Parts: sequence; C-alpha cells; structure tokens
Amino acid sequence: MLIKLSAGTVYDPANGVNGEVRDLYIRDGRIVAAPGDDLTVNAEFDLKGKVIMAGAIDLHTHIGGGKVTVARTLLPEFARESRHRHSEAPDARGSHATPTSLATGYRYAEMGYTAGFEPAVLPVNARQAHMEMADTPILDTGGYAMLGNDDFLLRLLAENADQALINDYVGWTLHATQCLGIKVVNPGGINAFKFNARKLDVDEENPHYRITPRQIVNRLSRALYELGVPHPLHVHASNLGVPGNFRTTLETMGAADGLPMHLTHIQFHSYGTEGERGFSSAAAEIAEAINGNSNISADIGQIMFGQTVTISGDTMHQYANHRHAHPHKWVCTDMECEAGCGVVPFRYRDKNFVNAMQWAIGLEIFLMVDDPWRVFLTTDHPNGAPFTSYPHLMRLLMDRSFREEMLRRIHPEAAAHTRLSGLTREYSLYEMAIMTRAGPARILGLKDRGHLAPGACADIAVYEPGSDPETMFSRPSHVFKDGVMVVRNGAICATVAGGTHAVKPEYDRGIEKRLKAYFDRYHSMKLSSFCISDDEMADGIGSRVINTACAARSA
Amino acid sequence: MNGQPRDTMLTDIVCPFCSLCCDDLSARQNGRHLEVTDNGCHHAARGFDTADGESQTGLYRASINGTSCTLDEAVAHAATLLGEARQPLFGGLGTDVAGARALLQLAGYCGAVVDHMNSSAMLRNLLVVQDSGWMTTTLTEVRNRADVLLMFGTGVERHAPRFYERIFNGAESLFSAQTMARKLIVIGATSTPPPLDAAINVTLLPCDTASLGDVAMGMRALLSGAPLQAERIAGIPCQQLQSCVERLRSARYGVIAWTAAELDFRHAELAVQAFCELARSLNETTRCAALPLGGNNADHTFSQVATWQTGYATRTSLAGAQPDYDPVRYDSARMLAYREADALLWVSAFDKLRVPPPAGVPTVVLGRPGMQPAKAVDVFIPVATPGLDHAGHVFRCDTVAVLPLRGLRRSALPAVAEVAGTLLNDLQSRPSRHAD
Repeated sequence: MLIKLSAGTVYDPANGVNGEVRDLYIRDGRIVAAPGDDLTVNAEFDLKGKVIMAGAIDLHTHIGGGKVTVARTLLPEFARESRHRHSEAPDARGSHATPTSLATGYRYAEMGYTAGFEPAVLPVNARQAHMEMADTPILDTGGYAMLGNDDFLLRLLAENADQALINDYVGWTLHATQCLGIKVVNPGGINAFKFNARKLDVDEENPHYRITPRQIVNRLSRALYELGVPHPLHVHASNLGVPGNFRTTLETMGAADGLPMHLTHIQFHSYGTEGERGFSSAAAEIAEAINGNSNISADIGQIMFGQTVTISGDTMHQYANHRHAHPHKWVCTDMECEAGCGVVPFRYRDKNFVNAMQWAIGLEIFLMVDDPWRVFLTTDHPNGAPFTSYPHLMRLLMDRSFREEMLRRIHPEAAAHTRLSGLTREYSLYEMAIMTRAGPARILGLKDRGHLAPGACADIAVYEPGSDPETMFSRPSHVFKDGVMVVRNGAICATVAGGTHAVKPEYDRGIEKRLKAYFDRYHSMKLSSFCISDDEMADGIGSRVINTACAARSA
Repeated sequence: MNGQPRDTMLTDIVCPFCSLCCDDLSARQNGRHLEVTDNGCHHAARGFDTADGESQTGLYRASINGTSCTLDEAVAHAATLLGEARQPLFGGLGTDVAGARALLQLAGYCGAVVDHMNSSAMLRNLLVVQDSGWMTTTLTEVRNRADVLLMFGTGVERHAPRFYERIFNGAESLFSAQTMARKLIVIGATSTPPPLDAAINVTLLPCDTASLGDVAMGMRALLSGAPLQAERIAGIPCQQLQSCVERLRSARYGVIAWTAAELDFRHAELAVQAFCELARSLNETTRCAALPLGGNNADHTFSQVATWQTGYATRTSLAGAQPDYDPVRYDSARMLAYREADALLWVSAFDKLRVPPPAGVPTVVLGRPGMQPAKAVDVFIPVATPGLDHAGHVFRCDTVAVLPLRGLRRSALPAVAEVAGTLLNDLQSRPSRHAD
C-alpha cells in the first residue's frame, strides 16, 4: 500500500524543512522516498494549502498508572459533568482533567498528537501504568521510572556506593519497569516526609540517610549519562510551589555538574518573593540560566484557568497544599518504600493574584528561553491544566494580540507585575514544530519519530491553516498513525494500537543478588514478581515494546 | 507425558485467592493436582485445591439448562440470551485483568450494567474516597515503618490470614530502631490476641463491631482536645482511648487499618471515614496513615480496570453514550428484585462457592468448575482459574502492586477473557436488533 500526501506545506525542523511545499509518500507505516513512476499510488490526498507536521509528542503527561486512577476514583463528578466537543467520537468517556484511558488516546489524536509519555512511573506500579497506557488507543507511550526517594538507592548513597553500582541499579530499574527514562521527584524529600520532615532544601540532609538532594540528582544524572540513556534525568526539583524556589531550581541545575538534565514543569519552580504579597516572577532568572547552560532543558507546566486536579509523587508538597483542595477532598499515599502519591483537586482562578502570576510566569519562560529545542510545551497534564487546552496555549504563544487580550482579564496587580506585555515574541509554526515534535523526539532519543524524512514512522498531522492557531491545532484535517489515517476532519475515523518506548541499557546483573536479598528481607513481594519482561508486555499487559538503543559512555 | 505423573515442587507461586496476594507459596504438583505445602492459608488451600472438581467431571462440562453441551453450543446460546436482553446485568466479575478488560468491552457492546459481587464492601471505602479522600499507606511501608498499628475490627484474620505474619511480625525492617518496639492495638469484637511475635506489645479493647465508628470519632475528639461527656464509648473507658490516642501521637509512623468486608452494618462508610479522619488528623504533628485491608475475588482488580476504562469502579451502566455510575440504582440485588434487568451474566473464575443470586431472568454463568448454582442456570460455562490454569494479573489490596500470575498446569478450559471475546465476536456478527 503506497499513500501519497500531495503538495502540503511541510514543517519538519529535524530536517531543516521550513514551510516548503512537498509530496510525502507512506508505505508499510513508514515514510519513504519518492518512488519511481512504475509504482502505483494506492491512495492520494490532495493537501494543497495545508500544513503538515510530524505527529506531536507530549514528553510529560500523566496518562497512566495508579495515581491517575486514584484521581479518577476521587473525582467521579469530573466524569459525570464533562461534555466533550467531539462527543461523537468512539468511547468519548470521562472528563477533561481525568479522562479515561480510552478518551485520553482519542482526545490526543484529535489534536494531532501521536505519542505521550507518563513521567512518574512508580517502579512497583509499572505494570498498571503500562496497562493503562496499553488501553490508551493510537498513542505511542512510555514512562519514566521514579527513583531518588526509594530506600534502596538512598541506602546505597548513604554508604557512598561506587557510581558503577548506582549505574547497575538504574539500569536494572529501566529493564524491570520497561521505562524510557528516570525521573526524580523532590529528590529525597518524599522519603524525608515519611520521617515527618516537611521541607528539604537542595543542600539539606535527609533526616535519616544524611544525604542531600544535590547528591541524589548528581548521582542519578551521572548514571544515566554513563549508561548512555538518551533522555537525561527528568527532574521535578525540590520546593515545588514555594515562593523563592527559583534559587532551589538554580541550585538543582548546578547539581548536574554540566551533565544533561531536564527540569520538568519549571513554571512551578520559578517563583520569587518580591512585592507586597511576597510572591513574584523569577522567570527572567530561570530563562537566563537555561539560555546560558546548554546541558539544561525544561518543559513548562503551563497553568490555565479553570478546574483541574494536581497529581504528583511529591507527597511532601501535596500534603502541604491540601488546604487549597477544591473540591475539598484529597489523597496522599506513601508507597512501598519507593515514593508516594498525592492527588489534590484545584481550581486556578484568573482573578486570584497567585494563580494569575503562575499563568504569566509560564508564558514568560516560554517567551524568554531562546532555544526552542530545549523548551517543551506542556501543562504537566492535568496539574497545570488538562492537555486539551494545548491549542489555546499554542495561540497564546503564537499570537501576541490574543495574549494581550487575555492578560487584561487577569488579576490587575498580577498583570502589572508581569513583564509579559513587554514580550513581543510570537512563536512561528516552525518553532512550534520544534517544541512539540522534533525537540521531544530528539531529547527522548527517538530517531524515527518527530520528523518526516524517509525511514521515519508515518506519524503525521495535517492542519488547515487559518488566522487562529487555536482552531488550527484543535482540529487537524488528517492524522496518520503508523501510516493509518486515524483522524479525519478533527474526528476519530479509525483506531490503532501504539507501542511502548523503552530502553535496555547494559548493566552488571550481579546487582540482582543484592536486590533479591533486599526484597526477601524488606519487601512485601518477591523480586521475581517485580520485573516485567518484553513477553509480559506483549501478552498480558498488551503493548508491543519498542526499544531505543543506548550507547554506554565512559565516566 | 509418559507413565505416572510424578510429584514436582513449585515455588514462588502467587496466590490470587485473597487480595494480600502472597507470592511466596510452594506447592506439590502431581498431574493436574496441586497441594500447597508452604506459606498457604485456608484461602490458598481452598483456592488451589482441585480435588472435588476433578472427581465430578460433569461439573467440568458446559451445559444448557443443566444438560451437557459443547463449549460452542453454550457460547452460542449465551450470545442469544445476551443479544435478546434489553438490559443485561453483569455480576460476580471475579476475574483477572484480562477478564475484566474483555468483560468491559462486552458490557459496552451489550449496554450492560456492571456490578462486582463485593461492591457493598468496596463501597464502604469508595464512598469515603469520593466524599473526602484519605491518607493511606501500602504493605511494604507498614512492614518497615509502622511502630504503632491500630486495627479496627478483627476481620483481617479471616480475610487476609497472613497479614500479621508477613507484614507486621517481620523480624527485619529497614528502620529497626523505629520498629523494634512495635505496638498493636485491636479494637473490636475480640478477646484473643492475634498470633504475633512476643516482642510486640498488644492491647485489646473489646467492643461491638457496629460501634467501631463511634469509637474512632471519640478518639478523634480526644485527639483534638475536645472534652467528652461520656466516660465510655461502646463500653471502652475513654481513659483507655485517650492512652491509645497518645500512643498514636507519639508514634513515628502510626497505621490505622480495617477490613471493609467485616463492617456489615448500615452506613459503615461513616465508620471508615472516622478511621481515615483520625489518621489524617494525626499528620498535623507526626506521621500516620490509613490502611484498608481485605478483598477477594479480584474485587480490586475489577475496580481498577473499570476505573481507568470507564471512570468508575463498579455499579456502572454502559447503556448510554457516557458511562453512568450510581451505587444505589445499579446495585444488582436491587435491580434483580425490581426486575430492572432481563438477563444476568455471572462471572466467578476464582471461587466456585460464589454462585449467582436467584435471578428470575435468563442467567449465563462463567464459573469455576465444580460450581453448583442453587438452581440450574440457562448456560453454564466452566472457565479456567487465573494463577492456576493460566497466566494473568491481579491487584493487591493496596492497589499499588499488580501481581503476575503464572499458569501452573495445563487446562483445556477457556479463560474468562477468551469466552467474553468469543461472545463479543458472536454478537457482533449477528444482525443488530437495534438496526430497524
């Protein structure tokens, strides 16, 4: 089957293509070079005047695993009250902030997304995360396993174990959990909360292990670098949401010692203490640090006004914020000597000073970071806002006058305190394609996604350009996943199953002896029950594993 | 296999017969026969026991109205009954993850209501989460961190028999300075302490099960410093409750546990809420967490899969464009009593004793071999047992862990997922009765 997409205007930054009219060919799920005249085209789509990009990739979205289902359990009213724009789509189930696994896949695909990555896979809960993502149609998925609050690692660090042993443990974790990367959440802080600590600064010692967040971040970054895992350590820094935390964030960047590091939902970590209310934007300081340190990347975690739910492994700060829960109910759980889970529903209000500042801070960072390859478009779904708000966010970034109009609606003091109105930048389609396609693929190490050269998977989104980017990005005319047309005129027309991206770095299996002893002595399950094989992924869990290569690097 | 089957020893077996999901069992296997030799309990012994089913081979056969038939005939007749129903009801729902997925897909196609056999017990916890949330912990945390465990009720010994042995008795913990002087407080209908290490300090405060909520609310009042007029609550002197509160307040990691299935009285969710709020309040100054225990027939498994797929754990109608959850309206016992369902699909793959309720409507059963419903059902399809006859997955009571089940022996019987899949294919191949 040969499919031809004719005469679309192609934005493919990975290959330096900026708005050129081209024909694309698809065969067997992949993009192929223009075939000779002797080959018959089986299906042709005339895409004259339309915008073609690779399928979009969300590198940080809470779409799978126990904590998402905890949120669904806590908030049945979200599902009940929701009404989707495209309710005629199959299985239009669930709400906007906590959609069902099925609705998640369909809603993403309807916006031209073809991959989403769950950033907080609790290792012991990896099976559930992968099951939920396997039940998320169309999207390719993957996860980042959470380390850095687990007692096994903290014990190793407390005894000052060799880096090689840390690397083995990280390598084993990636194999056992079938994940693509490693995330650390409030390094050591979730663990400290179990010892009743209520805060932990970057250079403050965990009350039990006497090690600091800086050490944890440093050792994990190094492990991923040496194992050759493409995605750098994914860091949810200390002191989330705390005024003045931009200093913590800068210190955390420093803990990388020049090694690659990704700071996630950085908006929540860019707060100063200026002004009468003791809450201000430190976006300039943060953007300057990103601009000046090419080893650092970040996604924003933009907030949008309205009802959502915050879902985080950071029990220390979720507990601290539980008084803000709206509606007033919340869940916090300590989990398996690994980490935790906190679910706090929240309504961001444009007339609330702090919320309005959060909105402005996120946009400021987007607009002040120079390199679109190192900043990624996220709302930390659903923490800042549901992912369905992405088209609106895209318009805020691409359309200055629209941004100004929105700015006039927020709390007036917040509007006066933000530099937003002085920021004239408007993202181009090319930059948008970098930030939502080429950039995420590159930082995740996915060589055949996020671009449109021959050999790439035929994950393609086609948009009808217009004056309004929100309309354009919310309703692609066509979306192809692995060469199959899954969306037509903004609605699902077919469904396919995506795969699971994972890495399998080399490590010394000698660590398993130590792990087995640890499990037998302290855990509530056996090591043999813990690890997930490729066969189990395919058969019982229901998703085919796509392994990305790792090339070990010397220390 | 040639000659006499020989004994083989199997180790590290995962037991799906209660939601503690122990994975350290050993068993002696001889052909199709299995006997748990180590780390079993009465649930495991019964669950892995295959003797009586084998001796009555008739119970291994599919049947229509009590008459043996082939699997194909049974499935075809079941499809007819489900296809003709205007409001099918799927009850029981004791199955693994794959079975739950397949049944939900079938339910979506049929427009069925789904209601797990343990919904009443599940809702005692679920309603609390939906109303106020909770602050909980999981088994490995308890094993390593808990220095004070307050157990409301005594059901855990019946529902999760190895809980104390595996989770609280453990000789070793990561933080032995914290756990070496453990304390257990049991409040409930008991006069005998559970089997525990001598080192564990046990306090028993006997009271009526239905009063557990009152006791917890009284403790919460004492914690907040409110003066109580009563000198006793449910027969327990307030002074003793005050000293329990002090123990929790001075604990480094207190845990408050209960077993919802045991709380079989009206509005037991209010008692559960009182346990949870007591645990949450203690976190103002120290750490404390709630621990819901119990569950069987993969109730946590069904509720998790249903929640991520439909948004709701149980008692959900898939008849409309959006799933509709209503814990009262979609109670299967109520629906059958009021004739609001006109066909029942009952699934119990783990437990042959959980037979379908007398329904008064066409009834299809996917049951563990040996199941003997009170009266002949329209269709009986014997299904394989997950974790015994085939691989699968079940959720543990704290829902953080999903345990992989192994197939331990060969079985000719289909898994629930296969039967549900075949039923769906059959129904989809029929002309739609809604078409005209």
